[in-house]
Amino acid sequence: MEAVMNQQQKRMHPHKFTLWVAIASILMMFAGLTSAFIVKSNLTGWRNIVMPDFFWFSTATILASSLTMQMALRSFRQRAMDQYRWLIGLTFVLGVTFIVLQWFGFKSLWDQNIKFNGSAGAGQFLYVIFGLHALHVVGGVIALLVIFLKAFFGKIKLYSSVPVEVAATYWHFVDILWVCLLVFFLAIG
Amino acid sequence: MSDTIHIQPGSVAHEAAHDEHHHGHHEQSFITKYVFSQDHKTIGKQFLVTGIIWAVVGGLFSVLFRLQLGFPGQSFPILETFFGHWAKGGQIQPEFYYALITMHGTVLVFFVLTAGLSGTFANLLIPLQVGARDMASPFLNMLSYWFFFMASIVMISSLFISTGPAAGGWTVYPPLSALHDASEGSKLGMDLWIVAMALFVVSSLLGGLNYISTILNMRTKGMSMTRLPLTIWALFFTAVLGVLSFPVLLSGLILLLFDRNLGTSFYLSDIVVNGQTLPNEGGSAILFQHLFWFLGHPEVYIILLPAMGMVSEILSVNSRKPIFGYMAMLGSLFAICILAFLVWAHHMFVTGLNPFLGSVFVLLTLLIAVPSAIKVFNWLTTLWRGNIRLLPSTLFAIGFVSLFISGGLTGIFLGNSTIDIHLHDTMFVVAHFHIVMGVASMFGMFAGVYHWFPKMFGRYLNTTLGYIHFWVTLVGAYLIFWPMHYEGLAGMPRRYLDKSVWRSFSQFGDLDKMITVVSIIVFAVQLLFIFNFFYSIFKGRKVTSTNPWGANTLEWTTPVNPGHGNWVGEIPEVHRWAYDYGKDGREFIPQTEPIGANESKH
Amino acid sequence: MQTFFIVAILLLGFLITFQIAKASEYVAVLRGEEKAKKQTNRVNAFMLLCFLILGLIGVYYCNERLKGKILGEAASNHGVLIDRMLYITIGVTFFVFVITQVALFWFAYKYQQSDTRKAYYYPHNNKLEVIWTVIPAIALTVLVGFGIFYWFKITGTAPKGAMEVEVTGSQFKWEFRYPGNDKTFGKKYYKNITGDNPLGQVWDDPYGHDDIYVTGEPMHLVVNKPVRLIIGSKDVIHDVGLAEFRMKMDAVPGTPTTMWFTPTKTTADKIKETGKADFVYEISCDQMCGRGHTGMRGEIIVETQEEFDAWITKKSPKYIDALKAAAAQKADSTKPVTTVSVSGVK
Ligand code: HEM
Ligand SMILES: [Cu+2]
Ligand SMILES: [Cu+2]
Repeated sequence: MEAVMNQQQKRMHPHKFTLWVAIASILMMFAGLTSAFIVKSNLTGWRNIVMPDFFWFSTATILASSLTMQMALRSFRQRAMDQYRWLIGLTFVLGVTFIVLQWFGFKSLWDQNIKFNGSAGAGQFLYVIFGLHALHVVGGVIALLVIFLKAFFGKIKLYSSVPVEVAATYWHFVDILWVCLLVFFLAIG
Repeated sequence: MSDTIHIQPGSVAHEAAHDEHHHGHHEQSFITKYVFSQDHKTIGKQFLVTGIIWAVVGGLFSVLFRLQLGFPGQSFPILETFFGHWAKGGQIQPEFYYALITMHGTVLVFFVLTAGLSGTFANLLIPLQVGARDMASPFLNMLSYWFFFMASIVMISSLFISTGPAAGGWTVYPPLSALHDASEGSKLGMDLWIVAMALFVVSSLLGGLNYISTILNMRTKGMSMTRLPLTIWALFFTAVLGVLSFPVLLSGLILLLFDRNLGTSFYLSDIVVNGQTLPNEGGSAILFQHLFWFLGHPEVYIILLPAMGMVSEILSVNSRKPIFGYMAMLGSLFAICILAFLVWAHHMFVTGLNPFLGSVFVLLTLLIAVPSAIKVFNWLTTLWRGNIRLLPSTLFAIGFVSLFISGGLTGIFLGNSTIDIHLHDTMFVVAHFHIVMGVASMFGMFAGVYHWFPKMFGRYLNTTLGYIHFWVTLVGAYLIFWPMHYEGLAGMPRRYLDKSVWRSFSQFGDLDKMITVVSIIVFAVQLLFIFNFFYSIFKGRKVTSTNPWGANTLEWTTPVNPGHGNWVGEIPEVHRWAYDYGKDGREFIPQTEPIGANESKH
Repeated sequence: MQTFFIVAILLLGFLITFQIAKASEYVAVLRGEEKAKKQTNRVNAFMLLCFLILGLIGVYYCNERLKGKILGEAASNHGVLIDRMLYITIGVTFFVFVITQVALFWFAYKYQQSDTRKAYYYPHNNKLEVIWTVIPAIALTVLVGFGIFYWFKITGTAPKGAMEVEVTGSQFKWEFRYPGNDKTFGKKYYKNITGDNPLGQVWDDPYGHDDIYVTGEPMHLVVNKPVRLIIGSKDVIHDVGLAEFRMKMDAVPGTPTTMWFTPTKTTADKIKETGKADFVYEISCDQMCGRGHTGMRGEIIVETQEEFDAWITKKSPKYIDALKAAAAQKADSTKPVTTVSVSGVK
């Protein structure tokens, strides 16, 4: 048993590793969608869009939340639990704000008469791609909520930082993914 | 929840750091032990039993549509009794026929040979053969099964709605699958199909993540990557293929769902269906095919690789000889895994694909034949000068190699775009993929079941029934699918349910009758196997030794009926590769045995 | 009643097989397991050998029975190339097939378990492995070479002066259009499709005025004259499958596709060749398209130029029909005419 333990410590924690594989998998999904976008944008009948400002605000929000997440992780490692709690709480609030802002972004596009039906265009892809991204953020927000509740109500005998690290990595991932998607749309859409 | 906490009651004390994850090993209720179990072995068995149930359903569908193909125009009143207006006058109606083949394909490809095959053996073998107490995340692993279960429920429910299940073929090409008005099967049944497949994708992703991290992170001491048995390597590459290609299918299906229900134009353009002009413009129907086959081709290897891995292992154990060219086997698995992602458009040679692109795909496709050939030659050499025990598992493994050769060679026809112009979407394709993917993988799966049944249930399957099962299935498979190539050479399109109006394709009536009769017999023999399976779980001869086949791998160092945690006491350490059979005059040397002082090197 | 009997017999068969299987297990235990195992091993090894021999005979027999039923000589220039490629591939793969299957079953028979044999510890041999990597690679390169060479010939641009025919699939029929004397198709737009204008032709486009529309009867082609098909679909994906010419191309809504070939045998030639008076070239839909897929059949007549000219001059363009219909409509109502002057050009 001891031998196994020792050996395991040298390697990456399996849960973290699992997350990295999952990230690769999620990336493949977005790769599928964005390549579909590229293929289609060369066909006739394509309609472009103007990016609503809300998406800039949401970008700022999610970038900020990444920062607070990283600070929360550091506090956790330093066992500064109070600081950790409110930083996690803040990250959670920023995450929710991000989703609300996305919603407003979609709404303002919709009001610009970019709707689902009718001929093909960047708008239809935007709803699908940003929508799926938002779903992934929702997943992260739920994970944050669980961690947050644990931090408040759970017995603080949790010495392992693995769950927090996993959550933080995922959070940064959806953040970077968002920036890439936005840049993608600005460049090609 | 790391591997280290799954300790047999009474062994080492639990680690303090993990106290929040105590498992109640001491008094497990029925529910946690058999239903919501997190033990990889139980989850594997759940996948296997669900897969078997699905195989019966899918097989039954094939019997039904074979009746139509063999005896078109003849009435079978019993069908009307069971299926009502779907089989009016005892004759299978076209919508029903198409629903049957669609479900047959979907069920066998995804639910039986993906979930049932990888799900079973990855779960059972990975922790046991790499020397881990369980998967990296037993909880996700359990979820993986239950997502599969939910997918199954949704798919089954689509069989009972009034417009019937999806009927656009298992490839569900839009616009047919996107337009409610184009076919009965494109109504609610298609939505349920998409939902079921989405759940299925989640299931196989959760499974795949776990398999990969377990193999890479949780091997026991001394189990370097090149000491892994080939089963594990094959399952590893299978998981990689799945994790990287299923999400792409999911994105394709999401777009399809939008087109179906929200009026978007991802795949739709310039359509007048049933006299109704649709507003969609600028969509591309071919786009879906790219997204589908980006999964679809890796999928055939997802089905095939686990079978290859198990066959390698079983041939080596039962010819009492190391697998020939371990590194070459590994290299070819790797090459297949990479190339599998680069050949998808060979399913689209006649869709108007750019001919230059087509030629690139020809090249890449025929490249895949090289690693495949290496594998075949290595299997043959493994048998050469062995001392072969012809158990049912060995026979199925040999059958696998035979079928893989036959089906692989016809792949060379289809991969060549020039010939594919003529053969695409004909019965030749049906014959090809049934032999190479359908029946061959089934053979791999049977080999695996016969070989690891003692590990799963602590009992043996009845061998005589095993031999009957093997011989009827092998002969039947060739009788069914070999002559079918000729229909394809004549240009007979697939998915035709009655050829009587055609001048060019109506000359194979007798052949179709023969095929139908044989497939009914083969189906009956599969039922015999299933009976053997369930009977032997409870009444089979008991296994008395921990290592009944004299094999080297780690699973045979566990007790006959291992508990959750697999090994009592410490996980054994590994000192050698898995294939020291017949070395230095010894019949076999388990992986756990340290290298002797004057042991020969290879 | 009959069904009941069949089920009963099947069940009985099951039970008997099962009882025998169980009994044989007991007998094996009684007679000494080792001995019984050895015997089954021998029996199965022998059966593997039999399977090999009978299987090869079966392959031969199957070919004798069925080779006459696959299509005869290809009826197009490209078909000849495709058939040649096919036979080259059959030759190569059949050779490999026989060698590997014989080796497989022969080894399984020859090296069956025996007390006198020790398995030979033979984990690898780099030279052998290189050999059987390189040989298949060479063989495949040759096949790819031929394949791509023919492929580019077949998919290359059609020769100048090729005749053009437009083929449109829809659930579940084929419609054809000939460009008329100006050899140019008029534009069309799918939103114009109505009962009177089945292809959605744009009547403002003068090129379309002499376009000939044909449906419900065979497509006519001229022997030894290259033909380029422009293929489209109105609803779902179909596929123009021409088994006798060995050609095939999908019909995709929204994205027209093309293919060309030269028919080399008239229908009359084929009737003589096959001795079947009812011979006709068929168009089969090869891409599943819904409930009527099986019956989505079209016909082609290949004939001489004179015969073709005689046929086509009897046809009147759709435009004339549309004009007449419009005039008739005008005559019996004062409603503005919409069918003829549709503008939405794409
Ligand atoms: C009893 C054994 C089986 C028989 C007799 C059988 C027969 C058939 C036939 C005749 C078709 C073509 C129907 C048509 O195109 O008109 C078909 C389709 C298909 N079968 Fe099987 N099959 C069997 C087992 C399997 C297995 C084990 C697999 C697993 C890979 C499989 C996968 C498929 C697939 C993917 C299709 C295509 C479905 C589609 O066109 O969408 N079959 N089967
Ligand atoms: Cu493929
Ligand atoms: Cu069709």
